[in-house]
Amino acid sequence: MYKAIIAILFALLLTGTARATGKGLTALPDKPIAPAFELKDAEGNLHRLADYKGQVIIVNFWATWCPPCRAEMPSMQRAWEQLREEGIMMLAIDVGEDEDAIFEFTASYPVEFPLLLDTESSVSEAWKVKGLPTTFIVDQWGRKVYRAVGGREWDAPDLMKKVRALKEVP
Amino acid sequence: MSFLLSLLFLKVGMASVTVEVGEKTGLRTWQWNHDGVSLRLVQRLPDQTRAYLQGRSFPAAVADGIATSCFFGSMFRNDGKLPLDFDLTAWKVTQKGNESRLFVREYWKDKLKSLEIPKAARIALNWSLMPTRQHFEPGDYNWGMTVYGLPPGTKFDLHLKLRLGGKPVEDIMPGLQCAPEKLN
Repeated sequence: MYKAIIAILFALLLTGTARATGKGLTALPDKPIAPAFELKDAEGNLHRLADYKGQVIIVNFWATWCPPCRAEMPSMQRAWEQLREEGIMMLAIDVGEDEDAIFEFTASYPVEFPLLLDTESSVSEAWKVKGLPTTFIVDQWGRKVYRAVGGREWDAPDLMKKVRALKEVP
Repeated sequence: MSFLLSLLFLKVGMASVTVEVGEKTGLRTWQWNHDGVSLRLVQRLPDQTRAYLQGRSFPAAVADGIATSCFFGSMFRNDGKLPLDFDLTAWKVTQKGNESRLFVREYWKDKLKSLEIPKAARIALNWSLMPTRQHFEPGDYNWGMTVYGLPPGTKFDLHLKLRLGGKPVEDIMPGLQCAPEKLN
């Protein structure tokens, strides 16, 4: 018994080590309207938030130098491979960097969803992003309904279920 | 037996600070834990920060001035059950009887305003720092640098404040030390 208690105490001391994933999605009860934007992706194509009206959208704010942002990218790609077939959109908005940083990044982290450039960080500020990564789930009426501060395992069943459930809302 | 159990509960209800030394890097890490909330502070050598800044187009002289301001890699997590709010401007640094504040994002914006630094470089520094004010629901976290405005190698105590489930929590992380200019 004594050994068990020491083991528990030791485990408590070790809690909270530097993990690069968080948990869950926080519902935003007031469902604020997602601020409009027009941003180019790394290939120069223009994306407007309005282009995706009527779709559920995962909007991720990130940067290439941010370790938890990089850590969640593979799970975002896995989630995208399932969700794009279901009409759910995913956009990753890079904060403050240029095309060169994105090209270098995609050589090591090949992802297929659009990577948009918010070089002036004005969109990030309008969306009230404070730290990276931060992700919002926008419903088909253009409202921010969930937020996640820090990285997530985006293909985890509980997260995917919440995102998919938004499509079912009449 | 009951004494051991009471120790366990004291541990659960109270904060703790642990210290580690990186086997490969020799850098020190301090971690504060309280009811599922953790703040992990990892020393950053001035050279690491110089390289980071120069890689983002900061002129060498400016990068040097910034890099010797005592940077820590910081990981703030809420793995507890209550929402958490913090405001770094309310935190204090004490060192040999002197009291000062952290150098937060707004400090650097102001300080760098008059210097010839590309906008992209300013934006990069801003976003790489821990947010000055933040709200974490359970499961949320941020990584970012925190800056203490002290010379390399200086020892100090950090007085931290936050609100957990709306209730104030204050504590001290004692004996932190800015990374030295070079590791021996």
